[in-house]
Amino acid sequence: MGSGESAYETVSGTGRRKIMNEDITRRLKESTMFNGLSDDALIALAEKTSLRKLAMGDVLMRKGDFGDSLFLIHEGWVKIVTTNSDGDELILNKCGPGESIGEMALLDQDPRSATVIALEDVEALELSRDVFEEILDQRPDVSFAVIRGYSRRLRFATNYIERAIDWTQKIAAGDYSFIDQTQPIIDQKNSNDNKAIQLLSAFFIMVRKVKEREDGLKKQLEKLTFEIDQVRRKQEFEEITGTEFYANLKEQAKTLRQKRTQQ
Amino acid sequence: MNKGKIVSIHSFRGGTGKSNTTANLAAQVAMAGKRVGVVDTDIQSPGIHVLFGLDENKMGKTMNDFLHGTATIREIGFPIGDHVGGAEGLSKLAGKNLWLFPSSIRGREISQILRDGVDFNKLNEGLQTTISEFDLDYLFIDTHPGLNEETLLSIATSDVLIIILRPDNQDLQGTSVTVDIARSLDVPNLMLMVNKALPKYDFAEIKNEIEAKFNAPVAGVLPLSFDIAENASGDLFSLRYPDHQWSQALRGVAQAVLAVE
Repeated sequence: MGSGESAYETVSGTGRRKIMNEDITRRLKESTMFNGLSDDALIALAEKTSLRKLAMGDVLMRKGDFGDSLFLIHEGWVKIVTTNSDGDELILNKCGPGESIGEMALLDQDPRSATVIALEDVEALELSRDVFEEILDQRPDVSFAVIRGYSRRLRFATNYIERAIDWTQKIAAGDYSFIDQTQPIIDQKNSNDNKAIQLLSAFFIMVRKVKEREDGLKKQLEKLTFEIDQVRRKQEFEEITGTEFYANLKEQAKTLRQKRTQQ
Repeated sequence: MNKGKIVSIHSFRGGTGKSNTTANLAAQVAMAGKRVGVVDTDIQSPGIHVLFGLDENKMGKTMNDFLHGTATIREIGFPIGDHVGGAEGLSKLAGKNLWLFPSSIRGREISQILRDGVDFNKLNEGLQTTISEFDLDYLFIDTHPGLNEETLLSIATSDVLIIILRPDNQDLQGTSVTVDIARSLDVPNLMLMVNKALPKYDFAEIKNEIEAKFNAPVAGVLPLSFDIAENASGDLFSLRYPDHQWSQALRGVAQAVLAVE
């Protein structure tokens, strides 16, 4: 399990080499949260990170735990899981090098929303909330960069929502053509926007299933049966045509039609 | 004199989309370059003027004035092509030869007409005058649902009668009586139009079954669409959304009207 020792080597040539300084700053810069930070801000952050080492099956965090730190995966892969109503494990996502987990915990007080388990030997950089808040107090530039990062992601999410609305309207109209046209964008494995991609994948799977079901239904069209009550039909006809008004009208109409054909 | 054809649009029950269909059919025939008039004889609940973007304030003399002898047909015809306004679909009618002959929506005038009754010869003369004065190819009549006296007059004078029905047994029952009446009154061209068909049904089958039931052609089966309900009464749907399934089927009905000899 994690050791809590500093991941950052401040004095070169002394002590055991852990992770190279540049590696940590590079990892921080890769994360959506910190990629707007200046180099010296990144170094300031990197100094505050600690290293956590996990073996396969080790739990990095558990759903419901009080969360107070962010993890950046440096090496290896983890799975993010929850349990369904039957108690079976449900894999929500997998995260690998360069990806961050639990960053919301730096800002909110909510418990962990999922459990994270190492799939192999994993090295993760940990940044705790206390440390993070200390940096925010000292460095307004870091605060601004973090806010900018969040607003960028919010904007990105809004864009996806807008596209999803557009697609939903198309589905409602029975137009599924966008599935073929849009497919490539969700296959970008290297994107940083895993959650959006996950959502899109789920969305596209749903659309395909809806379409399949609809196609199936079309094949077994319901048959309408039409019935006319002929007795009622005759009665109603006689009610209308039995009046003096109708007799006159029929006569007038006949004369009119004869006149028209003669013209 | 009898150059133009009188095309009556009728439905046995309300809610079949009759006024909407009449307005769109008239617009499509006008788009095909024909000279077209639309008469609203649904005197009890006139509404077609709204689809053409006309409000009561814009309306001058109405069919009611003509039937009372207080206006000439010339004064009543409202040139839609000159007043298309802002609606996207309607604006396509700019410069087209399409006139609306509205009914009054003023309650007192409506009840007066109903009390006095409408004379067949007076109505027929009015329609023929409308055709000759405006040199019309087609005069569409939006009738009142059901088979009251005014409606019977409209049917009696029609060259073409289009009966609109929904694919349900109640509409079929009523339509059967209207079909019998139309035959009794020697209407030369009778066609049916099925509207508001649920997309889950096989439209070709609906067409075949209804044609067999009435021994009359079904000029189109048009789907029930919430798009049309949403568009409400502000614009002409088939001009605004020409690629929509409803609009395509409606153009088929317009073609059937244009094909009548």
